[in-house]
Amino acid sequence: MSEQQTTRATRAAVWHNPTGWRALTVVSHSVIGKRFMLTGLVFFLVGGLLAMLIRAQLAFPDQAFMSSDIYNQVFTMHGTVMMFLFALPMLEGLAMYMIPKMIGARDLAFPRLGAFGYFCYLFGGLILMASIVLALAPASGWFMYTPLSSDVFSPGVNSDFWLLGVTFVEIAAVTAGIELLVSILRTRTAGMSLSKMPLFVWYILVTSVMVVFGFPPLILGSILLELERAGGLAFFDVARGGDPLLWQHLFWLFGHPEVYIIFLPAAGVISTLIPVFARRPIVGYRAVVLAVLTTGFISFGLWVHHMFTVGIPQLAQAFFSVASMLVAVPTAIQIFAWLATLWGGRPVFSLPMLWVFGFLVVFVFGGLTGVMLALVPFNWQVHDTHFVVAHMHYVLIGGMLFPLVAGIYYWLPLFTGRMPSMQLGRWGFWLCFIGFNLTFLVMHFTGLLGMPRRVYTYEAGLGWDIPNLISSVGGFVMCAGVAMVLIDLLTHARFGRKAKANPWHADTLEWSMAAPPPTWNFDLLPRVHDRHPSHDAQLQEETWLPDMHHGRRETLGCDPVSGEPRQVIHLPANSWWPFVCALALAALCVSLLVRAYPLAAFIALLSVGLLSAWSWHNGLRKPHARALPAPDPLPMHFTGFDSPGLWGTNAALLASGSLFMSMLFGWFYLWTVAPLWQFPETSPLAWPLLLTVCLLCSLAALLYRRTLVRLRTGDGAALPRTLWAVAGIGLVACAALIALLRAPLDITGQAHDAVILVMLLYLLMHAGVATLATLLQLRRVALGYVSAAAPFEVPIVRQLWRYTQLIAWILLLVLIAFPQSWGVY
Amino acid sequence: MHPLRDKPRVGLFTFAVTAVALLSGCEGSQSALQPAGPAAQDIALLWWWMLGTSAVIVFAVVGLWLYAQFRRPPPASSEQPAPEQAGMRHTAAVDRIIARRWLIGGGLILPTVTMVVLLAFGIPMGHRMLPLPLPEAPLRIEVTGHQWWWEVHYPEQGITTANQIHIPAGRPVDFHLASADVIHAFWVPQLGGKLDMIPGRTNVLRLQADAPGRFRGQCAEFCGLQHARMRFTVEALPEEAFAQWVAARQADEARPVRDAGAPSAQVFEAHCSQCHSVAGTPATGGPDLRHLHSRTLLGAGTLRHDGDGLQRWLREHQHLKPGNHMPAHDHLDDDTLSALVDWLRRQQ
Amino acid sequence: MWTRKPFPIAAVHPFQLPLGLVIWALWFVAVYGGLSVGCAIATPAAEAGSLTWINAVLGLLTLVVTVGLLALARFCLMAARNEPRTERRFIARLAAGVHVIAAVSTLITGLPILVLPPCV
Repeated sequence: MSEQQTTRATRAAVWHNPTGWRALTVVSHSVIGKRFMLTGLVFFLVGGLLAMLIRAQLAFPDQAFMSSDIYNQVFTMHGTVMMFLFALPMLEGLAMYMIPKMIGARDLAFPRLGAFGYFCYLFGGLILMASIVLALAPASGWFMYTPLSSDVFSPGVNSDFWLLGVTFVEIAAVTAGIELLVSILRTRTAGMSLSKMPLFVWYILVTSVMVVFGFPPLILGSILLELERAGGLAFFDVARGGDPLLWQHLFWLFGHPEVYIIFLPAAGVISTLIPVFARRPIVGYRAVVLAVLTTGFISFGLWVHHMFTVGIPQLAQAFFSVASMLVAVPTAIQIFAWLATLWGGRPVFSLPMLWVFGFLVVFVFGGLTGVMLALVPFNWQVHDTHFVVAHMHYVLIGGMLFPLVAGIYYWLPLFTGRMPSMQLGRWGFWLCFIGFNLTFLVMHFTGLLGMPRRVYTYEAGLGWDIPNLISSVGGFVMCAGVAMVLIDLLTHARFGRKAKANPWHADTLEWSMAAPPPTWNFDLLPRVHDRHPSHDAQLQEETWLPDMHHGRRETLGCDPVSGEPRQVIHLPANSWWPFVCALALAALCVSLLVRAYPLAAFIALLSVGLLSAWSWHNGLRKPHARALPAPDPLPMHFTGFDSPGLWGTNAALLASGSLFMSMLFGWFYLWTVAPLWQFPETSPLAWPLLLTVCLLCSLAALLYRRTLVRLRTGDGAALPRTLWAVAGIGLVACAALIALLRAPLDITGQAHDAVILVMLLYLLMHAGVATLATLLQLRRVALGYVSAAAPFEVPIVRQLWRYTQLIAWILLLVLIAFPQSWGVY
Repeated sequence: MHPLRDKPRVGLFTFAVTAVALLSGCEGSQSALQPAGPAAQDIALLWWWMLGTSAVIVFAVVGLWLYAQFRRPPPASSEQPAPEQAGMRHTAAVDRIIARRWLIGGGLILPTVTMVVLLAFGIPMGHRMLPLPLPEAPLRIEVTGHQWWWEVHYPEQGITTANQIHIPAGRPVDFHLASADVIHAFWVPQLGGKLDMIPGRTNVLRLQADAPGRFRGQCAEFCGLQHARMRFTVEALPEEAFAQWVAARQADEARPVRDAGAPSAQVFEAHCSQCHSVAGTPATGGPDLRHLHSRTLLGAGTLRHDGDGLQRWLREHQHLKPGNHMPAHDHLDDDTLSALVDWLRRQQ
Repeated sequence: MWTRKPFPIAAVHPFQLPLGLVIWALWFVAVYGGLSVGCAIATPAAEAGSLTWINAVLGLLTLVVTVGLLALARFCLMAARNEPRTERRFIARLAAGVHVIAAVSTLITGLPILVLPPCV
């Protein structure tokens, strides 16, 4: 066999994806991305069905074929399914599929983490679906305001389905965010510097950072509410020093960035399509990057605009009102960049562009009603009415669904090797567009005519009858449109005209490979010279990683700014661990749901064991650790200190930090604002014990730092005894924390004590994880898997100790030093 | 007199729209586009301006887009540009100028100007709506939201009622809003914006009706099973009529139960008095029933109070408003109920 | 983490990219939080309108942060002018843009401090 044939055969063997039941072990990003998208589609249909039930009931006044209880479950699940199980997973799936192809990588940086995320999403989604089937679905609205969602006013397991199920699904979102973030920064192909990245990649980079910071507040809120419901802890109950508004703040701290997290990838699709169909580069690449960065950050400063009617002082509201309007500026910059690109090009019309046009009309109108809503007096009239329902569907469907369909049609030749066509596609678009506008345009007036949200029926004769009927008819038209689009996509995927290479003459890398692409994407990783690699005649002049003679999956590791290759990253292959661990967490979720706490404790321990075993098997093993790298010009990632794993750990710690900052916010918020918050006479915490914990953690971090300094010089002799010392310190610190937790805390009677408990448990969790990781690393050192020759895991555990140290000191300050200096203890 | 109220154009416009919107019956309208007070009028006017401007912007942007997409391509030029430049319509220099114009004019200037104008009008408008101290203190009404009815107190006048509020027309009224259970929201669209009723807090909403009339209100924060049936009415009376109403109610507060010896009084005592009251001390747990027969609606807006409305309500309330916190009265037969209804009527 | 790390925190370090908006975010938290805490500990009289100590402190903070961000922008632009390598120049100029945006956002979001009373 020739050199090429051997290489191809080796590649196919190394990158093989099994079928049948072994398909559960597949970790390749293309498969995982497609799974996210297909599962997302199924949930979209479920959410759509729920929407049709709503419109059927509201078509006529005084009609209640669904009782108020069922109706409340239906609209709550419509929102929950669409927001958590469709919108973000669908876009993350698209990103997971596309990003490695666009940046010239063979896979994402953490393939098994992505697979794990998918199973968490699937199992969490199934748990939520179970609630619908059992008619035990949550019924307090998709944002679950308390006290309505508390155990007092929503007894029964309904709200728990939401709190546990959605948190489980969010694991998938956060892991995907971490994976995309690290992949974009560290696995780009040679020469793809930041300034040469396709715009879509910039959008996903910003979105991933937003996910890392934006999801933890909701995770915290859900944990607190579940603790309140199941354990009676006081966080949101006024009488015991809590405040229902804390939930609203935590929810919307997540909720507002969430809608931009949904919008930005879709806008990234538009930024990709427009230059291709205008047949020229985008106008204002830098301006668009600036706009995306700005949107990402400023969207975190808008959340109170969902709370303009709770009675916050006008000056505070004004900050959020101004910021909410400010965010329209970067959005406008993007829209006008697109317009300018079309204006200065020779546009070609096509089915994707038809959907882009639909996006423009709908989203611009939705954005304008958003600016209206940002104005406080107007907000006071239309908040919680159908006007807001109309606005949000305009921006979500216009800003996410239309670009998504445009992108699917555009990338259809890549997914399936076949072209879409205008014939049926045109009908699908117009039915959707007309149906959508029929449903939601008149709904603005329905709200202005006084119809509140979330009402299971309404009186005749208020002027709402005809608008509601129109909306319901429109809903059915849109339903037909969606069906037609699905049929169109399915028939073209199977029977469409075969596509030639790069049918749209696009300039991004994903079009420079075979369609549909092989599992490994690129036979040879190219060097990129400009922003239009597919048009670059010199693309294949310099290539990397031509073959697989190591017999393992590899991709290039690059410098985050310049894109210059720095190392070869060894990627993990197919494995049962993601599936098994996700299954264990699902079992944990269900046991918490049915409140079988001893069982839950056992499963939690089992999960920790499984996750540790997974991380063990993921880490370097003997053959690789001992084998010297073949004559590659680049070192393997495990021989250095700067691995993707370190970046992933840092990203995960940022997410944890966001959770921690939300906790601090909760503490200060309740202290300042909760009507009946009380401090006890003295702090229940033994501050010497907490100080000891801080000092121990700092000592551990210091010891790790010193051993790392030595390792960098090649001296690994001190590793074993340092790790023994750190492990010992860790165990003592954990013991001290457990002793602290035995303080007399009245967690069900006082919010003050409940918050302290949660913060200490958080610190204990981090100290515990750091100690466990140290113990595992100690064993690995003894077995020779970690040494001066393969040191990359050492900085990772060091980061865990540095973070634990940081939060320990902050807690000492915030829980003891600051309140004492303020005079409350 | 509010400066923006006098524009006849506004009145005509609103009339035209609401005529199309099919006006409701005698409880008044719930439309924010039929303002009957200064706050609501400001907001309605703001809405029409914002709608007009938005329509212009949408048409302009969409028009430009369609033009850019579909206009005739320019004649082919003789140079051979690079593949990614193949679609360029202009030279690089002209292109840069055009780009700058679009990005700065459309992307920067348009939204900034719009924003500044909106805030310049909106912030003072919002400020005018706040319940700031006035030289003459406004009437104070305390409203507490319950699952799914409204408890109303006039603390200075010593009046308690439920689900129906009387106010004087032509002067501001401060509503002190609280909640007994979950979060509700108090909203009278014809008079102004809404404000949430949050347990543990009291929020103050200032409203004013310009002229006498009847206005509808509805709970506007999802509060559970019967959120859809948590309505109330606001009746604005001329100053003298309001004073008379207050005097009549104050007289009623002092008077004892009539027909205390009737069998219905015992029925009331046994089955209703834990939560309701018809005289003497105010109710705890349920709507106060004093002056029940002046109310036009029953069950916080569930059905009309006419003919046998009350009887129907007592008999079927768990079918009309399932899940409401009043226990079913299936064990009371129709005759008992009808006697009770008559007895309640006599408490007038 | 980067080879040949620019030291001290230079205008060309990619950390500059999010820095401006991170500062804006911290300012926002300080202003919103400071407003709440200020109103809780010493509510000024309603008649004072916007001439209160809270407005003064918040307004001063806004000005300081705005000027600081503009200075950072200038710092990055100057560095970009002298930077021969394209990638680093791209970073510095992009960062300067972010700093300007953050400065403008701070100033505009802070404008209501001039006109509105703090605690009503």
